[in-house]
Amino acid sequence: MSMSFSDFQRLIGADPWNRDPETVRARNSAPEFAQAASKAEAFERKLQSALQLRLPADLLTDIKNISHQPAQQRNWMPLALAASLLLAVGALSMVWKQSLQWNSIEAYLADHYSHDGTALLESTAEAVSEQDIIRIMVSLNASAGQQLAGLIKFIKFCPTPQGRGAHMVVSTDHGPVTIIFMPKTQVTDGERVEFDQMHAYLVALEHGSAAIIGQTSQAVESLQAVVRSSLKTGLVSA
Amino acid sequence: MTNDTDRTRRFNQLAEAYSTDLYRYALWLCGNDALAKDLVQETFLRAWRALDNLRDIGAAKSWLITILRREYARTFERKLPKFTDVDKVVVADDVELEPDQHTERELLRKGIMKLDPKYRDPLLLQVIFGHSCAEISEQLGSSKSAVMTQLFRAREKLKAQIQKDGVTGNVHELF
Repeated sequence: MSMSFSDFQRLIGADPWNRDPETVRARNSAPEFAQAASKAEAFERKLQSALQLRLPADLLTDIKNISHQPAQQRNWMPLALAASLLLAVGALSMVWKQSLQWNSIEAYLADHYSHDGTALLESTAEAVSEQDIIRIMVSLNASAGQQLAGLIKFIKFCPTPQGRGAHMVVSTDHGPVTIIFMPKTQVTDGERVEFDQMHAYLVALEHGSAAIIGQTSQAVESLQAVVRSSLKTGLVSA
Repeated sequence: MTNDTDRTRRFNQLAEAYSTDLYRYALWLCGNDALAKDLVQETFLRAWRALDNLRDIGAAKSWLITILRREYARTFERKLPKFTDVDKVVVADDVELEPDQHTERELLRKGIMKLDPKYRDPLLLQVIFGHSCAEISEQLGSSKSAVMTQLFRAREKLKAQIQKDGVTGNVHELF
């Protein structure tokens, strides 16, 4: 039995490059079928062109550098439990958060930290290499001095209110603490921000800022001197 | 040492083969350049840690897409991100286009952004990754017939949206 025109249109509307024998037979059965198929293919070429994007220049390099990290096999159960806990806390805190466009530094920190902040604290058993720290910092037009670099257990790029920044986990005598470096975000120096049973101390840098985040029991401000002296920004003038 | 080298080589092959398509998929999925980069980096970070679980390199593409989709769902299960302006999101490419073609492409891009995720997602899997309807149904956990209906409607809605937004006669004729 031959395919009806409407069935043929539905078929090529769902799968324009379909070359099943039945589809090809239908296509060749009448000029209107062939014309509809050609039109669908022309649309598809435009669609493919519209979806084309160039990979950001540094993304492939960043991805390949991941392989410099130790390949840890994750024990998923604790992470799943931690994720569930995070979701529960996040669900409560997100009720009043208005947008992912972050209309305040507090909203950004709460949103970003709830994403993977706790999980990253728990998944940093081994120190990252100095090369990783240098690579990420240099790409953010910054550098981490020895005092800070020696404390960093984990580092990755992360979104900030103004472009990319760095998410670091550092070791302290009071347990791991998170530092978010925001190269283009201005903050009020010394301001304290609280969210989700965490608190953050904001440090204004020569270019951009940093947020030192820890549990309310952790004296996060004790790291401010290290951050101020070791986190050098604006290495190259824009 | 050889195992480490081999592992790194496999990982780099995956990065070179799929990072561009995963970035395109992530960007059209979430509509935000910074978040798309973060999603792709997180995907490859998880892939690196779990690389030993990937026994069939032929399944790598679907495996990476699954990781990215889970990460996207995990990130945005509370709230979908707002699309930023498509002009700010879309990275300019090198292709020189005639003004009419440029208009068509911009209308298409805006139309894609406006598509409901249930239509946009299978369409992206098909157009960006070249997935068959059967592969999409496996990836999305839907029946093949449901996927075909979504794909058909996605294109119909896209054409309707473009015709609604289009201003030139050429655009109307083309779609």
